[in-house]
Amino acid sequence: MDLIKRVLFSKRMILGGGLFLLFVFCLYPFLTLFFKIVFPQGGFTLQHFEKVLNSKSTMVAFKNTLWVSVGTCLMSTFMALPLSWLLTRTNIPMRDKWRSWFCLPYAIPPYIGAIAWIYLTNPSNGILNSVFGEGFFNIYTNSGLIWVMGSFFYTFILLSLLAALDRMDPSLEEAARLSGASPIRVFFQITVPIIFPSLMSGILLVLLASAASFGVPAMIGNPAGIYLLTTKIYTLQKMGSMNGIFMAGALSILLLVLATLVLIINQRILSKNSFKTVSGKTSRPSLIDLGSLKTPLSIGLAILFVILFVMPLGGITITALSKIQGKFELSNFGFQNFTRVFFETDETPRALMNSFNLAFIAATATTLMGLILGYINKKTKLKGRSAIEILASLPYSTPGTVLALAFILTFSAGVMGIPIRLYNTLGLIVIAYFAKYLNFSLRTTSDGFGQIDDCLAEASRVSGATWWISMKTIWFPLMKPALMASWFLVFMPAFSELTMTILLTGPGLETLGTLIFQLQEYGDASGGGAAVLALLTVIAVGLINGFVKFISKGKYGL
Amino acid sequence: MSTVTFKNIKKSYDDLVIIKDFSLDIDNGEFVSFLGPSGCGKTTCLRMVSGLETNTAGSISIDDDVVSDPQNKIFVPPEKRHVGMVFQSYAVWPHMNVFDNIAYPLKVKGYNKSEIADRVREIVSIVELTGLEKRMPDALSGGQQQRVALARGLVMKPKVLLLDEPLSNLDAKLREKMRGDIRKIQQDFGITCIYVTHDQIEAFTMSDKIVIMNHGDIIQMGSPSDIRNNPINDFVADFIKTQH
Ligand SMILES: Nc1ncnc2c1ncn2[C@@H]1O[C@H](COP(=O)(O)OP(=O)(O)O)[C@@H](O)[C@H]1O
Ligand SMILES: [Mg+2]
Repeated sequence: MDLIKRVLFSKRMILGGGLFLLFVFCLYPFLTLFFKIVFPQGGFTLQHFEKVLNSKSTMVAFKNTLWVSVGTCLMSTFMALPLSWLLTRTNIPMRDKWRSWFCLPYAIPPYIGAIAWIYLTNPSNGILNSVFGEGFFNIYTNSGLIWVMGSFFYTFILLSLLAALDRMDPSLEEAARLSGASPIRVFFQITVPIIFPSLMSGILLVLLASAASFGVPAMIGNPAGIYLLTTKIYTLQKMGSMNGIFMAGALSILLLVLATLVLIINQRILSKNSFKTVSGKTSRPSLIDLGSLKTPLSIGLAILFVILFVMPLGGITITALSKIQGKFELSNFGFQNFTRVFFETDETPRALMNSFNLAFIAATATTLMGLILGYINKKTKLKGRSAIEILASLPYSTPGTVLALAFILTFSAGVMGIPIRLYNTLGLIVIAYFAKYLNFSLRTTSDGFGQIDDCLAEASRVSGATWWISMKTIWFPLMKPALMASWFLVFMPAFSELTMTILLTGPGLETLGTLIFQLQEYGDASGGGAAVLALLTVIAVGLINGFVKFISKGKYGL
Repeated sequence: MSTVTFKNIKKSYDDLVIIKDFSLDIDNGEFVSFLGPSGCGKTTCLRMVSGLETNTAGSISIDDDVVSDPQNKIFVPPEKRHVGMVFQSYAVWPHMNVFDNIAYPLKVKGYNKSEIADRVREIVSIVELTGLEKRMPDALSGGQQQRVALARGLVMKPKVLLLDEPLSNLDAKLREKMRGDIRKIQQDFGITCIYVTHDQIEAFTMSDKIVIMNHGDIIQMGSPSDIRNNPINDFVADFIKTQH
């Protein structure tokens, strides 16, 4: 017994196990996806690719994906660039408040935004259309799609720019001011060129995110007949035929190749062009006095805020509270939708329970795994440990649709020879979450380990503690803040995940995300049910985010 | 070539008073050092001249023009003050080569191409960077970057040149040479200079006048020999003794 325990908890066993799991969940599924499509019956063939490339509808999906992604990038850049300047370089009132508010959509699933904007601007009874006239706005268009995606994904660029601007040596800009350049001129001639790598990197992330997005194109694109690659893969997979799966697989590989290309370009830009902007001691940046522009710019920010947040949230709230949509009388408002959703079906409690369990297990497992991998990464001299980060980021940067398909093909019948049927079980969903979000954990734990001096643990080992004991008594307590942050950073997106779950789900396996999706798509005629759950999701995300920010003293969370 | 006048300058951040009551007259072509321990407010005083900080009370004038006087709501923004500044971190723009860095102030002011080329060539040879015009900053040593910064500060013939611990990132030998070079260039140009340092050797070897500061107050000012021979109190005596 003692021996078993010693072997099981030995350093080699735990670290080796971690690396093995990393391989199984982060690399093996991609290899399987590739082999199953290229060697379907053992022989090499490209027929599935040919089929996909010869199909007119997939080529249209390609084109749509491209246009929508580029449009989203443009919109995101035009929003994020001025915002980042205003929020880091000027004395705009309530700077820090605006900063966290405008970053908030980063934590909210974009499909919530799609629902909200459908309530606001669907051509027949959208709330805004009842003000401006029927058909004034129509969300079911390419621009509607771009608008909703852009209103979420601009945060990728904004966060990247804010970090770069905070890091940048302020004297670079001050020197330009003293050379006679106005603040605006300084921004375009000095600041933007210097933070250009970060800007490009943010833009490419948006490109990737829009090409990988599923919820928004499914809810807004599908009714309009606008299919993107992800929604196309979903349709093919849901056809259920082997042929459909193969076509979906081939399309997935193409999407994956696109995503990889974008990431490689991103890596190139970051490594080639990144100027060392931090040099020696720096002064505190002097803020540009907006003077008489303070009020108009503040009003502008407030209007943008109302459009981006207050209106969508209002739309969801009104819809959730309306007994009949489109009637704005006091008597029409009540909690009827809430009682119906929660007490008159067993789907909602089941979905919440499933989501909670899935997110709980995924968060715990990734955090433990992050602890092991972070340790290997930062505290051992293991050869090839740099591959850990690459492997862990692979599923994260893979479009969820592709990842889900790879998991279906790889693990439906079991894991690595262990024959457990995973298809149509929560097990398959949980390992997909695990792979997808491992990257979050690894990054927080690596950060955490990086900040702890080795001598603490060495002291305990010298005093005779085994590796496992010193892990338990030294590392765990010291790593607690990082571990908690990691747990919530995984729990939050996992709880409302839609893109992968919708492909992996089955009867009785509904989650919060898929239930909202189904209510919105088919179920609830009045739309009230989806609104109720969307509203609760936003509130939950807000609360958890605040909590994470609190426990990590502002380091994580928005 | 200008005079700089500080009149009863105060600076505070909310309740935190950084500079209490700072008055100082700087003459045409004078080289003045602000000397004092780290955190005593030297940089803050310097940056108020450039307009990168605003004083809370009192007034600052360059020549006869008041550039900052909060009581009378006067504030000339940095880009209109026509002062040059050299930063501790060099602040050489990484995306421009040496020529473009130095030419930038002239471009902003709308000089034509040939004028710019002439002025830059002249200043480049003064700071001994000839031949490096096409280099990007990441291919320059720290000393060379600091020379670029110096050239960029001088090229537009500013009224005042402000230097904030420009040598503290350089190694000892280079620092010694740069001290002599900066002083010589300043005298050749006859330009008014304010030089911030916590290194008393720098202050004593380069300056016409030294202002010794502590906790946001002027403790003593005078020529290097005045201060060396008659330190006003123990703090000054101690401070100029250390590092010898
Ligand atoms: N933005 C700011 N807010 C609060 N305190 C500041 C700020 N900038 C500078 N200080 C404080 O002002 C004092 C003087 O700073 P500084 O002028 O940089 O000193 P020195 O250049 O002599 O080392 C320091 O104690 C510093 O902490
Ligand atoms: Mg200083």
